[in-house]
Amino acid sequence: MNLHRSVQKFLDLPLRMKFVWSFLVGILFGGLVSLFFGTRLEHRTIFTLAQAKVRHDLASAWVVYNEKLNDIRDIVLLNASRDSIRGALLACDREVLYRTLVRVRRDFNLDILTITDSSGRVVTRTNPTGVVGDDQSSDALVSRALRKETAIATEVVPRSELLKESPEFAERAYLKFIPTPKAAPRPEDHEEDGLMLKAAAPVLDEQGKLLGVLYGGILLNQNYEIVDRVKEIVFKGEKYKGKEIGTVTIFQNDLRISTNVIDAEGNRAIGTRVSREVYNAVLLRGHPWVDRAFVVNHWYITAYEPIKNLAGEIIGMLYVGMLEKPYIDLRNSVMFTFAGIALLCTVLLLIILFFITSSITNPLRRMVLATNRIAQGDLNHQVRVSFRDEVGQLAHSFNQMTENLKRANENLIQWGKTLEKRVEDRTKELREMQDYLVQSEKLRSLGKMAAGVAHEINNPLTSILINTHLMLEKLEKRHEFYENLSLIADETSRCTQIVKGLLEFARQNPPQKVHTRINELIERTAQLLENQASFQNVRIVKDLDPDLPTIKLDRNKIQQVFWNLMLNACEAMPRGGQLTISDSLSADGKSIEVRFADTGVGIPKENVNKLFDPFFTTKSSGTGLGLTVSYGIIQQHDGKIEVWSEVGRGTVFTLSFPLEDKHPESSQKGGTNE
Amino acid sequence: MNNRKKRRVLVVDDEITVCKSIRQAILSDEYEVDMALSGEEALKKDAEKSYDLIITDLMMPGISGLDLLRSLREARPDCNVIMITGYPTIKTAVESVKMGAFDYLPKPFTPADLRGLVARAFKKTEGEDRLKGIVSDAPIPAGYYYMLGHTWLKIEENNRGVVGVVPYFLKTVGIITQLELPKVNEAVTQGNVCGKISDADGFVHRIWSPASGRVVEVNSRLIADYSLLRRDPFTEGFLFRLETDNLEEDLKGLLLAK
Repeated sequence: MNLHRSVQKFLDLPLRMKFVWSFLVGILFGGLVSLFFGTRLEHRTIFTLAQAKVRHDLASAWVVYNEKLNDIRDIVLLNASRDSIRGALLACDREVLYRTLVRVRRDFNLDILTITDSSGRVVTRTNPTGVVGDDQSSDALVSRALRKETAIATEVVPRSELLKESPEFAERAYLKFIPTPKAAPRPEDHEEDGLMLKAAAPVLDEQGKLLGVLYGGILLNQNYEIVDRVKEIVFKGEKYKGKEIGTVTIFQNDLRISTNVIDAEGNRAIGTRVSREVYNAVLLRGHPWVDRAFVVNHWYITAYEPIKNLAGEIIGMLYVGMLEKPYIDLRNSVMFTFAGIALLCTVLLLIILFFITSSITNPLRRMVLATNRIAQGDLNHQVRVSFRDEVGQLAHSFNQMTENLKRANENLIQWGKTLEKRVEDRTKELREMQDYLVQSEKLRSLGKMAAGVAHEINNPLTSILINTHLMLEKLEKRHEFYENLSLIADETSRCTQIVKGLLEFARQNPPQKVHTRINELIERTAQLLENQASFQNVRIVKDLDPDLPTIKLDRNKIQQVFWNLMLNACEAMPRGGQLTISDSLSADGKSIEVRFADTGVGIPKENVNKLFDPFFTTKSSGTGLGLTVSYGIIQQHDGKIEVWSEVGRGTVFTLSFPLEDKHPESSQKGGTNE
Repeated sequence: MNNRKKRRVLVVDDEITVCKSIRQAILSDEYEVDMALSGEEALKKDAEKSYDLIITDLMMPGISGLDLLRSLREARPDCNVIMITGYPTIKTAVESVKMGAFDYLPKPFTPADLRGLVARAFKKTEGEDRLKGIVSDAPIPAGYYYMLGHTWLKIEENNRGVVGVVPYFLKTVGIITQLELPKVNEAVTQGNVCGKISDADGFVHRIWSPASGRVVEVNSRLIADYSLLRRDPFTEGFLFRLETDNLEEDLKGLLLAK
């Protein structure tokens, strides 16, 4: 659950942080692992090499060591065969022997040079304080020489023997143990025996008879000749930060008796002891030891090998060690170089990562921004495309999407506008249709009513008319009621006309439509009007389109409409004016429009809507049916009649006839001509 | 006039006021006028008196004017019948002329209108000879449509037609003193007045149009010389030319000369 939450938390991080973290974790893990294994490998390689070198150095050290041993043997062997020595020994001339051997000892830098008789008793020692006459036949090398063999070996020389030679040797050999932390515990607290390189050779006469034994040696305790020589030969005095790189030591048992390892005070570190590990491995088990070891106060890469006496017993060790520090430093510097390179790479990677993630996240952020702006309705926003990678393609697609969205939106808006317009148009159409229906309904009801009423009214009218006339016939013209009766008769006649008009209107024959040139019809009607004397002061202007197509109309009915409209126009201009008759194709080309425009008195607004109502009239002599009938006729032609009027300026009636016949069958009956 | 027996006229209308008015209008020394308020009563009275002229309303409850006409035509073909009609039934009235009515008169009318018509009806029965020779006896030419005893219609191209008066009508009219014709562009309808002839006897005779339409030409020569009407009733003596607007329908009410 916690892991899940952490993963969720990580996934919620910004993209760049996710990249950075992922890279960092990868790099750190890889870096650390490779550093770990790399250093280990390097360590191993370096130390293997170092160990190989130290082993080799130890071999070199043995060469020097054995050389010294051989030197001693050569000296002993050479002097044992000298005639003077032989003679003196045969003669038992201690004086001569002493003088001769002392010179030899001094010349060849030996510590001891002693000669015994054939039984092993010491004839003379070469140190001034040397004891004479003691038996040395039990000594390992002397006993060998007594058997006429030459022997060389490193041997432990007990203090008592050292004292026989010189108290100075016992003093050199005596070493108080310096407490060493890792050393194996020992019951003693000092060493009093010495370690000596020894060689013994028999002194023989010419017949090969044993005359005595000559043996010599060098006490190794606090003798630094070998170790320093080894150091010089092998390490050539190399130093590292003021410290000797190579160190050589000769151990007597586990005790440093000759060394160039320097302790904290700057003295040779004699008197200290070897660590328990090495003690166990080399001194107890007799194995060579090659490994790093803490020597006195520094880590060394070391090699130890046992030193054995003639009997093959382990009596000490030869040691060569190289300061570990240069290798450690080398290792560390390599490690730090690696780490530095790794760090540098990481930084470089992070910088590259920054740019790469920027190239991803910046467009993404811009896109997010753009999305927000689009969400707010700004469809004009475009994302800048920098590259043509996937993000670039995404941005491009995004832009395209926005573009499409914008276009769709524009279409939608356009559509909305169109819809609005359509709704408006449709509403207008519906309103017109409604008006039309209302008007139609009015007309239909009127027709029914007229038919019903006419008969009923006719009877009383007949009676009135007849009786009025009968009375008039009987009256003198100057009779006071004559005029009244005449008026009644006239008005009754007018009633007759009204009823007649009504019925005529109610009759409503279907129109007989034939192909008609509308201009011809207008011209003809206008001609009739021009002949009317009463309208001589009205100027008639015709603006007719000569290219109009023919249209199917009921000529008589339409002429009646034209006549009505022209007559109305003329009557609206009692003091003269201009009647302009024009026709043209409508804007949409689907119908023909005819306009009658006068410069007459105009119609008050409140009257415009009543114009087509039956019986609406402003003229004293009108029936109020002229425009109603005209309306009915235009309706029968699926046409429209519209009025524009302004009081004082005039009136325009606009008729429109559709070119397309909606009821083709009704026009077939009358269409015999043309 | 006194030597002559009074002519018997029966007025039939379901409305008493109309009956009375009509009776008043034509009542004179010459005519004895009775009234009947229904077709049944009319038949009953006619059976008693055998009227010379029956003026009857077309639309009546029970026996209608047309029923009356039909039974009279069968029983007494010599009896003249004048149909009085409201405008809505004018088609029927035209039909009635086809069926043998002497003429018809749409309501409302003036006493003069009625008297003229009645006079014509009696002139016809008298078989007046005084106009013999003046009025052409020529039969209606073949292809002409006509309203019995009234007007003819000759169909031209473009739905146009020429209208004239049949000689028979002129026989029932006295010496023509005035001729009234429609104006150009005036609308006329079948069975309605399209002109009036006034005669020397002081009667005004209405001329029924044989078709509906709009007048496109009036015979100006006729206005100058009325005698053309009698001399050449079928060509030179025409009344006017019209553009018909419901010809097919109108032709149903007309007879075709053969």
